Amino acid sequence: MKLSTIGKLARKQHRHTAGVSEQTGFPSPATHYLEPTIDLHQELITNADATFFVRIESDKYAHLKIYNNAVLIIDRSTPAIKGKLALVIIEGEFSIIKVPVRQGGSEAHKTFTLWGVINYVINKAT
Amino acid sequence: MIALVDCNSFYASCEQVFRPDLWGKPVVVLSNNDGCIIAANREAKALTDIAMFEPVFKIKKQLIDNKVTLFSSNYTLYGELSQRVMNTLYLFSPRVEVYSIDESFVDLHGFEHKNLKHYGNFIKETIFRNTGIPTGVGIAPTKVLAKLANKIAKKGPEHDHVFVIDSDAQRIEVLKNTEIKGIWGIGRQHAKKLQEVGIYTAYQFTEMPLAWVRKEMTVVGERLWRELRGEPCMDMIDIPKPKKGIGTAKSFGHKLESLDLIEEACSYYISEVAEVLRAQKSCAMYLQVFLNTSSFSVNDKQYRNKQTVTLAIPTNNTFTLITEARKILKAIYKPGYRYKKVGVNLTGIIPEAYVQGNLFESPKTEKHKELMQLFDTLNYKYGKGKVFSGLTGTRMKEWELVKADRSPRFTTQWSEILKI
Repeated sequence: MKLSTIGKLARKQHRHTAGVSEQTGFPSPATHYLEPTIDLHQELITNADATFFVRIESDKYAHLKIYNNAVLIIDRSTPAIKGKLALVIIEGEFSIIKVPVRQGGSEAHKTFTLWGVINYVINKAT
Repeated sequence: MIALVDCNSFYASCEQVFRPDLWGKPVVVLSNNDGCIIAANREAKALTDIAMFEPVFKIKKQLIDNKVTLFSSNYTLYGELSQRVMNTLYLFSPRVEVYSIDESFVDLHGFEHKNLKHYGNFIKETIFRNTGIPTGVGIAPTKVLAKLANKIAKKGPEHDHVFVIDSDAQRIEVLKNTEIKGIWGIGRQHAKKLQEVGIYTAYQFTEMPLAWVRKEMTVVGERLWRELRGEPCMDMIDIPKPKKGIGTAKSFGHKLESLDLIEEACSYYISEVAEVLRAQKSCAMYLQVFLNTSSFSVNDKQYRNKQTVTLAIPTNNTFTLITEARKILKAIYKPGYRYKKVGVNLTGIIPEAYVQGNLFESPKTEKHKELMQLFDTLNYKYGKGKVFSGLTGTRMKEWELVKADRSPRFTTQWSEILKI
């Protein structure tokens, strides 16, 4: 992991370290089999520079299966395809809708501005 | 061809990404300590009857009356969003030179076959889509011209924030409409000198004989002259140079009289700059500490002093530097004054690998280095200032800057992410 945050443009890199016992100096039998531990970021985030996290603080969106305290993973670079959940702005306020057929307006949602498409919803298991 | 991509009123734009209720409304960002305005968006700049350069306390009423939203500066957020913007630029070219927090040069050599106006538009739209930050794009054969193109892109609404200089006729037209003092790199002195000999536009400047330019304005002027004529002379610098000097100085939230609080603030600043040193793998040879009262305050007795020491061995060790800084502070501190600011500067920066011991001391041992590394790892992982030297103390609240209206750090702290 790179410590520097100054002029930082390189992304974090995983580093393989061969396991050598400090006591004996013998290499671990797993030496050539070590892999980086599973990192949720790899699975859930495809474009880190366009990804934002949002926490839900109400039950307003329970009908979309987004419950109080859920975390949304929003990727602004994901295309807004019909039926995808999206964070939008309606009359200056954030709201969540399913993307309708034509962007920019359906009767149900007046006019909205897309903020970003929601790729994952993390709800706490009950 | 080279593109200059520049974020529009960057700090204000960063704040607005997360505040759709403020879209299209005036927003300003205040300096450290909330003293004056350092950034204003287009809507705020349009309020010309407000003297934006005045101290905030003098114009606060006008700001509120005009429904201007004020933010304390949130450099954590601006820095992070800046990285996103710059990273996104790599989608368009493998060579990007980050010029400042909100502007970058993008090397477009080899892209000349493309419609550059479209490409510029594509850059602008992708950055906005991915990050929410609006930008302007100027594209031209040289850096100086790209800077000019960028200026034009921002001015005329018909350009839609993208402007390309791609023919000689157009270059000449642009130069004819550019005042000499509007050129990047021409200072006030040179502008005056040029105007004295009857040169008012950039075009006139490029028509002067090279020998004259070289004589009057040295090689720096010659480079500008060539760049304006479309001949690239400034290379892309894609690897940032290590800094030659590192320093920090911030005003206290309140004026301080006692030495111990000033010492703690000073130690904190040392920790900050030492971290920067270690991140770029270098050490400092000289340390300067300075201490000021507020020169704005008419009621207070004035005092300012500074002192520089040569470090026995160049170092980037927080503890060594704090010890040295406190020695200086003890020497320059005088009781009975109300101090406003303490600052530290590290100079004589050399690569860590070149550090030599002297007759009496050897460079800090591996153990020290490991400790500092652990320090940095922990602070990187768990947040700034989680582990600190005891000398820094825990009374930050008593000297810290006033940041009354700082927005949440939406992109770096789980506890502060956007909530809806």
